[in-house]
Amino acid sequence: MTIRNTLRDHGQRYRPRMACLKKAEKVVLEMQDPKTGVKSQPQRLVITTIPHAITGEDIIAWLANRFQIDAQEARNFGSMLAALGYIYPIQDHKRLVIKPDASLYRFQTPYFWPTQQWPVEDTDYAIYLAKRNIRKKGLLELHEQEQYNRLHKWMNHKWDFIVMQAKEQYRAAKERRKPDRVVFECQERAYWVVHRPPPGTVSGMDYGLDRRIDPNAEEVKTPDFYEKVMIFTQQSIMRPRVKSSVSLGALVKYCATYNSHDPFLSKCLPSNPWLTDDVTYWTLNMPNVETPTKKRVERWTFSFGELLSDQRGRNDFRLFLKKEFSGENLAFWESCEDLKWGTAGTVREKAEQIYKTFLARGAPRWINIDGKTMEITVKGLKHPHRYVLDAAQTHIYMLMKKDSYGRYLKSPVFKETVKRAICPEEHKFSQAQLEQNARNRRPSVSPIVLRQQELEQKAKMAASVDITQLCRFTTPVPHLAVYSGITDFPSSNASPSLPFVTNTPVCPSPISLALDSTSVSERRAEPGEVGGEGNSGTRAPATGHVSKSRMALSLRRLLRRGCTPSNMFASLSPKCHSAAGTSSRIQPISPDQPSQAPPRRIGNFFQIKVDIPPECRIYPIESEDEDEESRAASRGGGVGAKEIICPWESLTPQNGTG
Amino acid sequence: MPLVNNKVGDGCVVGTENTLIDGRVLVDSLMKVVACYRQLAACVGSCTDSLELRDELRQTREKAQRLAMDICSHLTSHLRNKSLPEEQRKELELLWVSFSSSLELLHVDMCKVFNMGDTFCLANTKTLVKTGLQGGGSEVAARALSLPDLHQAQTSTLPACLEIQERSTMEKEISQIGHMIDDMEMKVNVLRWMVEPHGTKQVDQLSCSDSTSLALMTTDEEQHEQQSLCQRNPIFVLLLLLLVVLVAATLSISIVLFS
Repeated sequence: MTIRNTLRDHGQRYRPRMACLKKAEKVVLEMQDPKTGVKSQPQRLVITTIPHAITGEDIIAWLANRFQIDAQEARNFGSMLAALGYIYPIQDHKRLVIKPDASLYRFQTPYFWPTQQWPVEDTDYAIYLAKRNIRKKGLLELHEQEQYNRLHKWMNHKWDFIVMQAKEQYRAAKERRKPDRVVFECQERAYWVVHRPPPGTVSGMDYGLDRRIDPNAEEVKTPDFYEKVMIFTQQSIMRPRVKSSVSLGALVKYCATYNSHDPFLSKCLPSNPWLTDDVTYWTLNMPNVETPTKKRVERWTFSFGELLSDQRGRNDFRLFLKKEFSGENLAFWESCEDLKWGTAGTVREKAEQIYKTFLARGAPRWINIDGKTMEITVKGLKHPHRYVLDAAQTHIYMLMKKDSYGRYLKSPVFKETVKRAICPEEHKFSQAQLEQNARNRRPSVSPIVLRQQELEQKAKMAASVDITQLCRFTTPVPHLAVYSGITDFPSSNASPSLPFVTNTPVCPSPISLALDSTSVSERRAEPGEVGGEGNSGTRAPATGHVSKSRMALSLRRLLRRGCTPSNMFASLSPKCHSAAGTSSRIQPISPDQPSQAPPRRIGNFFQIKVDIPPECRIYPIESEDEDEESRAASRGGGVGAKEIICPWESLTPQNGTG
Repeated sequence: MPLVNNKVGDGCVVGTENTLIDGRVLVDSLMKVVACYRQLAACVGSCTDSLELRDELRQTREKAQRLAMDICSHLTSHLRNKSLPEEQRKELELLWVSFSSSLELLHVDMCKVFNMGDTFCLANTKTLVKTGLQGGGSEVAARALSLPDLHQAQTSTLPACLEIQERSTMEKEISQIGHMIDDMEMKVNVLRWMVEPHGTKQVDQLSCSDSTSLALMTTDEEQHEQQSLCQRNPIFVLLLLLLVVLVAATLSISIVLFS
């Protein structure tokens, strides 16, 4: 029993409006008209006859005549009426279909007609099962027995009531004459076959989720209601408009393209599993099948979206891109999807990972996006959220669509796939075979297992990614340094507020250019500075003093080496703890830094260690200097394995630096 | 049906025993009436629908409502009595659960009959669905109203506009029952999940004589011949009576002869 709290409960309890029921009722009322309806005959039982039985073939003939449809459709329509519960079969009561032969059916009494307003209560079902128990000496079917036990557990508090009511109903039914009793029992049984179907069958009354608002209730015209109407109308006005010729043309084109691929409108090869209970179609179209079907491959040619959304198509495309050495685009796109659809807790790490792998200057799988987008993205990455990479993702998507997709469709990879695609034969099942199939229905692989397989696949893919498939295009090109100015200097632990835009006409560098130059300049500055430091060491670290000296040093260096401005600024921003929230151009340095640098420096000068991190190795190393720098950077920098520092990390103190 | 009104004082144990018995009797009769109402409601809209049926429905409904009012007041007053011993309270709570469930069934049935009255107008007999029923529900109504048989004289005086009158009264009655249910929830706080029923899971068999009514259908499917036992029952009873009479007669004759 529901604890009726109709006024206080704001949950979803209303069944959606089922418009088909009213229409079916009209048809049924026409059907049973004595003059123009289906002709009925009495059913002869052993000791009595019961009137108003109709044969299947009569039903189908009447429907075909009334609606001017062919026999197959009339049969389907009749079966629908049976599935909803308006007509029930007298023999073979568990299968709610209309058979086109002399099998008998009867109309259901209006009390047992399906309604939208009143849901079918479990209490009633429990009473019905208890009644069956009384009658048939406890002989319920297996699923009914299970339901009975379940209801006994959940409605235990009113089990007394249920048993008593069952007995009373049984006694009340006994008052009637025999044939009427038989009819009533048949009606009740048919009702419960519709609303509590045996396992393996689908209920015709499945309607999905309950609604929050009663569809039969009149909507009260409060000010809120009118407010909603106004908002809706305003939004409708603001919608962008398209000329009907254009939109209709698009619709027509879509329909024409997808017509032969629609399982309702055209044949589903080999056969529609919902109709024939044969799952070959699904096994042939599994996401990671070896040889796709011809129709599936044809769909890939319709649009780029189709290609990407099909797992098998994506794999093919990935293979093609691998051959073309532009696999990072697709990898980036996929990582963005992963970010968008992943769990909220992993958003931050994933965004970082993606930045380090694809977007940072000198990243291993660097992708080519324009400056504006990069700016927006990097700005957004300070506070990463799910959609932070949307702009970049769209850009890459368009790039792939306009460029790679066209080439893919002409490529040998695709042509090979098309050649190997299979075209399965259509099944032709006989009636007996169909029934056999229905009996052999088995549940498919559990979605949990499928998900695990998917994850394993992804892990395997990620592990086998070729980072070595980099070319010199992954080196940041000079003119692109334009975006690395104001917001960040990613490879340095600079404050975000560097006012100058660096312009590095010559950038021969490995990954952390500024880092290296910083370390170099620091090291170079050491001899000059040690003295100064010693002097000031006794004093409290006067940051201004120190920075002034460094400024002087850098100017000297500029004149001496003809340093690029980037080097200069790099030196001005040493890698050290930066005070949070400082807005000065020059970072205060910790006093520790310079003192620690000398011992290392000495070691570096005289030892040549082949200890380059893998990322550095690939880049054209143009001077031993840089080599040393990178080595030093890797040891001196100590920012983990990669020197790439994400922009948002610059605000947090560096761990492991010296 | 005589209605026992026990206005007993609170501290009286014997009184509470009586209240339990009364309550049980009332609730049982309500359940009987509700079951009968459902049987009658199943005929509405079918080819046996008629003014008589509607009248029977009305009478059954009225009886159910009277019973419901009584039980409501009875149980409410006793359950609000704080000094009730624990056992009695448990029993009363059980009765309460049965009563509220019966009321809900009644409410739904009444709503359904009301709706069906909309679709199936008695004036237009063509639309009444041919369900295969042949008899009306008069026997069932008689059982509900606990009368040996319904007076046939009543039917002739039924006015033709009964339906329209009925609809307005039905609406009122439905809302009344609805209010009663809501009031019950407000006034008495019975924790349903704490109520423990008496009965066992398996329902004991009432009588096996009727097991063949659906078996009739199955035999028809399998095309076996089977004798129905049910129709033999009255014959059995008569035979038994005859036997008893015979035995009694022989005994009396022998006594007379020997004395």
